[in-house]
Amino acid sequence: MARGTAFQGAPQPVQRPFATARVVEGARVRAVPVGPAEAAPDGIGFADGIQRWGIEGHFGLVPVARGQIAAGVLVRAGGALRAAIRLDEEFLVVPADRLGVRERAAISGVGLPVYDAVGESRPHPYLDRWAVAQVVERRREALEREACRAFLDARPEVMLVVDGGLAGLRDVPGAARAIGIAKRHETQFLDGPDLEVALTAPAGSRSSVFARELDDGTVLLSWYLRLWPWTDEDLLHGLTRVERIAGDGVVEDADRVSRWLLAERAPIAGRDSRWDRLLYPLHEVETALRAQAGGWL
Amino acid sequence: MTAAPQDPIGRVVATEALPASPHQFHFWTAVEAPVGIGAIVRVDGATRTVYAVVTDGRAYSDLLTPLHEVVASEGNPAAPLPPSRRAEIRLWTAAVLRQDPPEPMQPVPLAAVHLADAADVEVALRMDAFARGDERTAIPIGLYAAGGTRAPVFVDADFLLGPESAHLGISGVSGLATKTSAVLFFLSAIFQHFPKRKGSVAAVCLNVKGPDLAFLDLPSDLPPEDAAMYAELDIRPEPFSQVRYFAPFKPDGVNLNTLRTHPDLVHAVEPLVWGLREVLDYAEVLLNRDDIDAKADAFLDFLADRVVGRPFQDEWGNHHLVESFAGLEGLFRAIFDGLEQAGGREMWRTHHVATIRKVRNRLMNVSTRCKGLVTDEASGNDLPFGAFADRTVYVVDVAGLDQLGQDLVFTRVVSKLREHLERRDLGVDNVVVFVDELNKYAPADGPETYVRKMLLDISERGRYLGLVLFGAQQFRSQVHRRVVGNAGTTVYGRMDGDELATPGYQTLSPATKSKLATLPKGELMVRHPHFTQPVFLRFPRPAALAGRQGIERYPPAADVPFADAIVRQLSVLDRRVAPQRVKDLIVGRREDDVRRALLATRRARPADVLAFFTARLGRAVVRDAPADAGPAVTPLRTVEDPYAPA
Repeated sequence: MARGTAFQGAPQPVQRPFATARVVEGARVRAVPVGPAEAAPDGIGFADGIQRWGIEGHFGLVPVARGQIAAGVLVRAGGALRAAIRLDEEFLVVPADRLGVRERAAISGVGLPVYDAVGESRPHPYLDRWAVAQVVERRREALEREACRAFLDARPEVMLVVDGGLAGLRDVPGAARAIGIAKRHETQFLDGPDLEVALTAPAGSRSSVFARELDDGTVLLSWYLRLWPWTDEDLLHGLTRVERIAGDGVVEDADRVSRWLLAERAPIAGRDSRWDRLLYPLHEVETALRAQAGGWL
Repeated sequence: MTAAPQDPIGRVVATEALPASPHQFHFWTAVEAPVGIGAIVRVDGATRTVYAVVTDGRAYSDLLTPLHEVVASEGNPAAPLPPSRRAEIRLWTAAVLRQDPPEPMQPVPLAAVHLADAADVEVALRMDAFARGDERTAIPIGLYAAGGTRAPVFVDADFLLGPESAHLGISGVSGLATKTSAVLFFLSAIFQHFPKRKGSVAAVCLNVKGPDLAFLDLPSDLPPEDAAMYAELDIRPEPFSQVRYFAPFKPDGVNLNTLRTHPDLVHAVEPLVWGLREVLDYAEVLLNRDDIDAKADAFLDFLADRVVGRPFQDEWGNHHLVESFAGLEGLFRAIFDGLEQAGGREMWRTHHVATIRKVRNRLMNVSTRCKGLVTDEASGNDLPFGAFADRTVYVVDVAGLDQLGQDLVFTRVVSKLREHLERRDLGVDNVVVFVDELNKYAPADGPETYVRKMLLDISERGRYLGLVLFGAQQFRSQVHRRVVGNAGTTVYGRMDGDELATPGYQTLSPATKSKLATLPKGELMVRHPHFTQPVFLRFPRPAALAGRQGIERYPPAADVPFADAIVRQLSVLDRRVAPQRVKDLIVGRREDDVRRALLATRRARPADVLAFFTARLGRAVVRDAPADAGPAVTPLRTVEDPYAPA
């Protein structure tokens, strides 16, 4: 048995632990060595977003939250990462149905957009905050989507690496050029020997490509890619899930894309505890957005 | 990325750990920004403008630990470079040169940083106070050249030549620091820009080694970039138009002891020859620390006041007229003989015989060790004290003399300059004395010498007299701190690392020290009373021929036989002199007689040189018997001579 990793605290509950997928590269999942790392072409973009929110005050027991979100794309040329897109938004979040007319008027007088946090009808500080967080997260995802759309529109030949899955980009023109990098593995799409092969793949190899279908029929193709050896760590160490919108040549292109991503192991984003799965350019997007937002670092 | 001149190149940043203060601040720039150590920058705040010079720089990335780089490269230094470069910062530290308005003095605003343009440089270095208007006292000393800006840098004549402050010290390692070149360039600048209303100025340069200063009147081959720098500094690139060279003779008394003996140039070299009086006035120089006592001083004073140059009768009835070393030796012999005949007395006119012997040995020693500089004549050929000319360089070549001779020349020349300046009858109002290897003459430690005392006096009082010391040395730390401290303007060339580690450089940042240790030829760091921080600048090569090139172009003539040397010397005075006629005249004559006649001719500079020389030579006396050696001196029986040369 390999040495394990020490954790502090209990893991958060997983909302959606399992989903179904079908293998589209061969009959069973196998580990595929992708070959030596290979730098992606110049001009490739990297997209990410940040969010922050806090309770600004209360009307009685009703919380008024203030959210700040930003999304951006860095483009790489000659090794240097330069800002290509930056969007940000500041807004208020309240459970609108629990406010009276006077309170609503006061909030709209602040001059910021106001979003409704639909929560429980009874006050519950924890659940109220959870509802606010959901709104902020959805707004951030929407802003990221806008940033990606702007980039893909502006640079029709260029690939874009996106932090997270691509479900949100399915209706964005040019999303076929997007490469999603999922660092969290809350949802398991495989089972049995397929899952074991995928989660124990050695460094520098990927799993076979598998497909999952969204509610609207959009098909997303995924494969696991091991960036760093997991032995002496836990199963998820260095493991990413790469996602593409299904299309011609995606499966055939999986090795090449994987080699690009392997090359992104260096530099290491060592200031982030997720360094084993976090690509440095994505980390840089986050750093740049936080620095520009001020007081976020 | 290249910033346009008006664009900011950075912004001031301040943290609790690195705050901005009234004297120092930090700013970041793009990696490619044309900023470096020594660059002058301007910070435009809302209510104040700050000028500063960059003193330090740092670069770092977001790398948390070097181990991450090792891991990322999988331990292989030869691994391909990562596709992304780490985010990197250039963080600079700048020392404030000036704030406008100066009051209230406040921390530097957290504002945009610009590279200084020429107008900013003038304001930053406070040159606007003396480089403009009718009362302009600016002397250009080099070009500030950083960040795409080139601007002349001036020093204030009132602070370079007095009376506010004075003196200049230049330090740097030999060969790379271009100390002599810098001083020659500064002298050119002074001669061309020292305001006429401030009076006249001359320079006395003591050439202590090689041919460094032997060709100051000849033009050098200036590269175009140097010529352009002269134009930018408004200095004519030309050699010194008025130069007078002085050099002692070699021990043969006729060949000049200098490297400027090429036939085309030697005519401009005048012999530096001193008689007994000139030496006796500075006999203290000849005495080492052990010799300095009241008794020796008293006896020297007695000789100077009561004996030399006036009739003197001793107790034994001998009449003396001591005007030369030979005459002085006669007096000493008479004293010793007299004392011996008086039964071995040990005192003569309150002076102990040992003191007399000590002084005799020192004085006679100089006539031996400095033969060529010291003549047996009553007087010699000297610098034109009292008739110094404006904007003229007087080069005294003592490179061929031993340390004793160099000390003597240095002391006497500087002392005479001081005497005449005190009396305001030197001929000029200000004199710059350039001395290389100042650490030899005014060392930080070691015995107290007459030379060092004199230098300390000049350092502290010279600015009131117009006597200005330009001293060069390899190691500033080895020069007496009062001499160093009194230099209003200090210049540094390439410096030795060990020297930079000494306490005198504690105020410099590590980066500034590093720059000093690698400074290329032609670049200097300057401190001046108007500059609140040291400033780096460039200066052009001197327009006068450098010593090494001069030697290649005008190789020194070989020493010639006595007769030919006499012919050469007389020919300098009058080209019509027929060599054979001179040789016929001096054949069979005593060399001392010939030298004496030559010296007299040179002093008189008569219209008919040959006739004057012939007259002074006198008629030949045919010897028909060996010369009388005079009465033998019986050795003293009772007194040993502890001061006799080993």
